[in-house]
Amino acid sequence: MLSKPTSDQMLIGIARDLREQVLPHLTDQPAVVVMGMIDQILRNLSVRVANEIEWMHEEVAAIAAMAGRDPGSPQSLQLQHVVEWYGSVSRWLSAGVEAAYAGGDQAEIDKWRALIEARSAHEQAIMGSLDLVGRG
Amino acid sequence: MNNPDEMPARIAAFLAEQEPEWRDIEVVAYEVMTGGYSRLLGKAHVRHAEGEEVLVLRGDPPPGRALVDTDRGQEFEVITTVSEHGVRTPRTRYFDDAGLHLGTRALVIEYTASDSFLPYATGGGSLEGLNIKLADALASYHRLPLSSLPARLERPADWNTYIGHRIDEWRRTADAHVEDLPILRYVAAWLDAHRPPEVPLTLIHGDLQSANLMLAADGHFEILDWELASIGDPREDIGYFKAVAQIAPPDLLDDAGVMGFCERYRELTGLDEAQVNPVTVAYFLILGVVGTVRRLLEGGAAYSRDENTLLASLFNLNSVVFGSGVWIGASKQLEPILAAMKGAM
Repeated sequence: MLSKPTSDQMLIGIARDLREQVLPHLTDQPAVVVMGMIDQILRNLSVRVANEIEWMHEEVAAIAAMAGRDPGSPQSLQLQHVVEWYGSVSRWLSAGVEAAYAGGDQAEIDKWRALIEARSAHEQAIMGSLDLVGRG
Repeated sequence: MNNPDEMPARIAAFLAEQEPEWRDIEVVAYEVMTGGYSRLLGKAHVRHAEGEEVLVLRGDPPPGRALVDTDRGQEFEVITTVSEHGVRTPRTRYFDDAGLHLGTRALVIEYTASDSFLPYATGGGSLEGLNIKLADALASYHRLPLSSLPARLERPADWNTYIGHRIDEWRRTADAHVEDLPILRYVAAWLDAHRPPEVPLTLIHGDLQSANLMLAADGHFEILDWELASIGDPREDIGYFKAVAQIAPPDLLDDAGVMGFCERYRELTGLDEAQVNPVTVAYFLILGVVGTVRRLLEGGAAYSRDENTLLASLFNLNSVVFGSGVWIGASKQLEPILAAMKGAM
C-alpha cells in the first residue's frame, strides 16, 4: 500500500483546501457554518488517526496496572479490534473510580482520577482549539 | 422554512388567517437566520395596510434532522407565561401547531432589535455591570411561582429526589452510550459526594448562555430560546451559563464578577450565602450541563449506530470533550475547598 502521504497529512490538507479555496466563495450562511464544522472535524481526525492506536494502548496499560489485572491483547491491530479491547478495559476504569468514591479514600480517588485526567488529555489533544461556529 | 421563495406566500396566508382585520398583507422580506443548531429560524418583514411587523419564526426541522426533540407547544406556553410576568423576552405572537401554514410546526415571536450579546461582547462592547444585569435576568424568571407555570411542565417531588435524579443522569447517559464513558462516571461520583445545600425548585431556562441573550438599549438582558425550559434547581442555569462561557467567552461570572452576581442574585431571590456562592456556582458549572451532555452524546451515539448522519452530531462531541476538561479541573480545585467548608460546619 502507499503509506505516504500519511492519512493525517491528507486530512489536514483537505481541511486547508476547503478553508482556503471553498469557504471564501460561500455566501449562504448555513453552508458557511457547515464548512466551519467540517474544517474542525477534519483537523480533529488528522490528530486522531495519527495517534489513536498508540494512545489506546497507553491508557489500557495504565488502567490495567492500577486495577492489577491482565488486559491481554486486542485480536489484531485493526481499529475495530483495538476499540473493542479498549472499551472492555475502560470498564475497569469506571468501576475503579466508582469504588474509590464509595470507599472515600482520598489517596485512591487521586490515583484513579489521574487516569481520568490522562484520558481527558488525549481527548483534548484530538480536539485542539474549539470554535463554536454559527453560534450567536 | 429554509426556502425563501416559498415562505413569503406561506407567511402571508398564515397571517391573513390569524389577523383577519389586516388588509393587503405582504411579506416584503424573508431571510433564513442562523444562531442555533436545533431549530429552523426565519425572519419576516411584513407590511399591511394597518402597519408593519418584523417577526421571527422558530420551527421544527424535518424528521431525522433535529439534534434534540423538544416541544414547540411547550415552548410557546413558557414564553407566553414568562413574558406575561414581566420577564424580558420577545413575546409570542402566533403558533402554527399543525405546521399546515408554515411548512413545519412553528411558533412566531416578535423580532427584537436589541444587540445579540455574543457579537456585542466579542466586538469589544463594555461588560461593566453586566454580571449584575445577568443576576437580574435570571432572578426575573427564577422568582416566578410554580403555580403560574404551564401545567405541562413536570413538577419534581422534592429537591433531594430531583438532584439525585440529575446526578444519576450522568450515569444513565454513560449507560446508554455506545462505549463506556469513565469520565461521566467520575463526574457522577464526584457530584454525589459533594451535594450542595437545598434550594426551592423553580422554572429553569435549560440553555442560558450568552448566545441566547440580547442586550437592550437600556442595558438589560433579554432572554431567547426557551425550548429546554423545565422545573429544576435554579443554580443549574447559573452554572450552565458559566460552563458555556468557558467555550464562548465572556464569562460574566469570572473571579471579578461572580461575587457581585451572587450578592445581587441572593438579594433578589432571598436565597442565602450557603446556597448561592462561587463554590455552588462552580458545582453547578458541572451538574448544570448534564442535559446538554446527554443530548450531544445521544447524537454521537446515533451517528455511530448509523441512525443519523448529522454533521452537527459529530461536531458537537467536541463540546463534550471541552467540557470534560473543565469538569475535571473544577472538581479537583473544589475538593479541598468543599472539605474545608464541611469541616467548618
